[in-house]
Amino acid sequence: MSGAAPKEQWQDLVTASLLGTERVPVPATAVPGLPPRTSAGLPADLAVLPADPAAELLELAALATVARRAGRRPDPAEPLPAAEPDPAPVVSPAAGHRLQRILGGEHPDLLTEWLTAVVTRGQRAPAHLLPSLLDRARRGSPADQDLRRLAAQAGGARVRWLAALNPDWRFVTAQTGLSADAWRLGDAGQRRGFLAALRASDPSAARDLIAASWATAGLERVMFVAVLADGLSQADEPLLEAALDDRAEDVRSWAAYLLASLPGSALSRRMADRSRRCLRLERGQRGLRLHVSPPDSTDAATRRDGVMPGPRISVGPVAGGTVMGGRGVGGSLLADRTRIMLELVSRTPLDTWTGEFELPAGEIVALPAGNWAPVLFAAWSRAASAQGPYDPGARTWMAALLTATVTGRPPATAAEMAALRQLARRADPALGAPGLLPDPEPGAPPAVFGAIAVLRFRYEMLKELDG
Amino acid sequence: MLALAPDAPAQRAASALASGRAWTLTGAGDDGGLWGECRGSAATPYRTVVDLSGPAYRCSCPSRKFPCKHALALMLRWADGAVVPEPGSPPEWAASWLGARAARASRAAQVGEPDDPAGTGGAKDPKAALRRAEQREARVATGVAELDRWLCDQVRQGLGASQKSGYGHWDDIAARMVDAQASGLADRLRALAAVPYSGAGWDGRLLAEYALLHLLTVAYRGQDRLPPPLRDTVRSRIGFTVRQAELQASGEPVRDRWLVLARRDAETERIRTRRSWLRGIETGQPALVLSFAPAGMSLDESLPVGHEIDAGLIFYPAAVPLRAVVAASHEAADGSPPEAGPSRAGPPGAGTVDGLLDGYAAALSQDPWLDSWPAVLSVTPARSPVPCLADPDGQALPLHPGAGDCWPLFAMSGGDPLTVAGEWTPRGLWPLTAWDDAGMAVPL
Repeated sequence: MSGAAPKEQWQDLVTASLLGTERVPVPATAVPGLPPRTSAGLPADLAVLPADPAAELLELAALATVARRAGRRPDPAEPLPAAEPDPAPVVSPAAGHRLQRILGGEHPDLLTEWLTAVVTRGQRAPAHLLPSLLDRARRGSPADQDLRRLAAQAGGARVRWLAALNPDWRFVTAQTGLSADAWRLGDAGQRRGFLAALRASDPSAARDLIAASWATAGLERVMFVAVLADGLSQADEPLLEAALDDRAEDVRSWAAYLLASLPGSALSRRMADRSRRCLRLERGQRGLRLHVSPPDSTDAATRRDGVMPGPRISVGPVAGGTVMGGRGVGGSLLADRTRIMLELVSRTPLDTWTGEFELPAGEIVALPAGNWAPVLFAAWSRAASAQGPYDPGARTWMAALLTATVTGRPPATAAEMAALRQLARRADPALGAPGLLPDPEPGAPPAVFGAIAVLRFRYEMLKELDG
Repeated sequence: MLALAPDAPAQRAASALASGRAWTLTGAGDDGGLWGECRGSAATPYRTVVDLSGPAYRCSCPSRKFPCKHALALMLRWADGAVVPEPGSPPEWAASWLGARAARASRAAQVGEPDDPAGTGGAKDPKAALRRAEQREARVATGVAELDRWLCDQVRQGLGASQKSGYGHWDDIAARMVDAQASGLADRLRALAAVPYSGAGWDGRLLAEYALLHLLTVAYRGQDRLPPPLRDTVRSRIGFTVRQAELQASGEPVRDRWLVLARRDAETERIRTRRSWLRGIETGQPALVLSFAPAGMSLDESLPVGHEIDAGLIFYPAAVPLRAVVAASHEAADGSPPEAGPSRAGPPGAGTVDGLLDGYAAALSQDPWLDSWPAVLSVTPARSPVPCLADPDGQALPLHPGAGDCWPLFAMSGGDPLTVAGEWTPRGLWPLTAWDDAGMAVPL
């Protein structure tokens, strides 16, 4: 009888079974809790071949297996440190379910908006969804620092605790507790995080820091200008106006985009003057109509204001702060005059037209414009998306344009579809409230259904956070 | 037949009705369907249909008893030989219901858990049924003997070769067990194909599985000497299944508010299986409800995690009764079970690690093949030395390696204790549900 511990006895059985009983003898093993084994452990009439060492080994192993399972004892463990308590309330169960849907692939591009809404309301995401949220933020492009920062903020103390356990999520610590050291010594992401946080808490301090760092900064100037989009005001205009003459094209196009979005900027007044010469209201025999007469080419001043020659026809920030080129909306295929018209009107304050024509937005977007109607719709939609965050008046236009796609001429060109897509994501989510916008007809293009669905989704998403 | 009556007055009413002249039309099909029209207090006669293979009933009468006296009386008349089988088709009102039931039954058979694998075929022809059962028993016995020879061969030649032999090694013997109508053995064998690739200690796990299979063959040969519950366990693990309809008819329902603790889905190339773990809020009794669907089809959603259902559960006879079905409702006219609703009871009462291990050991003493045991613990997840769950006494159980990092569980805990439900297995605990600060169940 072996005096070895049960674990070693089991290992003896395993070794014998690996080698095979035709090569090695069955170990003389005692099963814990059973009296010492005689030559036949089980009643002889139950064993298939009592003399077979293989059957004998299997019987021993069966007894040992059950004894080991039944006799299992707990292991010791080293406890984890507890996470700091987080005073922020968790979002409602409905909102948590919404986050789960977004992380599961439903309208994934609305994640930034959901997180922003949670952070501005001082709430936090449900703990069980934080791992998927962090994985998603990590998978995003490294330039998408906003998503990482928002994920870190919406997760509160719990994500900092998780990041200490999983190296994959270490970016979280780079997003929280950013000090001036992060600005002096940090990498590009940490510098952006610091500047964005400063811009959110003290916009003019952030502007002063940008101005002071401008001359020595490299291509980081693109990031500087992009950060200004948050909390954009008249006070930013001199800095942006100067950036129109920057040597880097991306800096120039961001500056031009922001100035065109800023109500009352000198650039937007210059654009309005140019656009008014190209778009007039005419009273014909069949009533009012729009007459469109864009120039064939652009002068240097127009190009300085962001209407660039060549196939690249538009810039604008999309979620995450990358620059959207015009190729995606079929830009290179557009004739020059079409392109110039689209660019001028999309950079012109929308109240230019309500003032000039003395008509409400809803009537203007319904005016006949012949072949130019798709161009005007795309241009106005882009203008509304760009100006909406800064100009409450643009929201009337958003409602008018969205209504027009449902009740009027359905969007047909790629440029219109892209503009509508963006509009649905930028428009005031209150427009998604039941009954505010008409339901699309069954035969409407998928883009229209998609836009209305996005608005409804955003409306419900925000309502759940306030409910 | 009268044992099916819901109460004594129904028995008496049915007996009276069966002998009376109220029946204006009766008939029987060749597949266990009975139908009849019976004059009652209403202007039109009640229309009654019975499917003897269930049995299942449907009647147009307003009675809330189930089965109603008309259905009972119709069956009594049939038993007395007063209902003459008709070669023609049943009237439309009976045919549509019987047809729908037959379609459901054939679907159920297709999804891999045949209600009646032995082909014992209900109450139609007792002699033929007995013959078929004997034939099956002989086939299984041959298969069991073949499996035991195979197991001994493996150990004789050495398990070292198994790692090189590939999936076909187990698929072949599994296919032979399918031919022998021992589907339980076949399933266990198919699952073994993954063991050689399951990391360090695979050899010990393979030996343990072979040893338990050998024990099953030994127990099957000696089944006549086993206590009936253990015999039921052995037979069900070999692959003899109890028909759900038979269970519904004969089993004693355990009435409780059942909390759905956890759910675990598995999918093979042919079939999806959903395991729903329930626990009686009053009785504390654990239960396992299985449902099946063909691969690619959606599974039964009637038992969502965190819901509770006020119903009777009928347990399959076993040494450790765990597997159960939700009893048909006597309240609903079509016999469908009551619906589950969100539980407001918060997290279930949770135990300690020692309590779980003691409970599992006690269950193993009744059913040595039990390798999945319901766990509800109040624990704190920890990561050292391996990902594990530790109770307030510092006693820890490892997480099952297949459960992965289980980050959502750690995120919910934040280093503080929480209630976790899962399956305890010989390889570790498979966490399935955790309850958050607000008492909401979160599937992991």
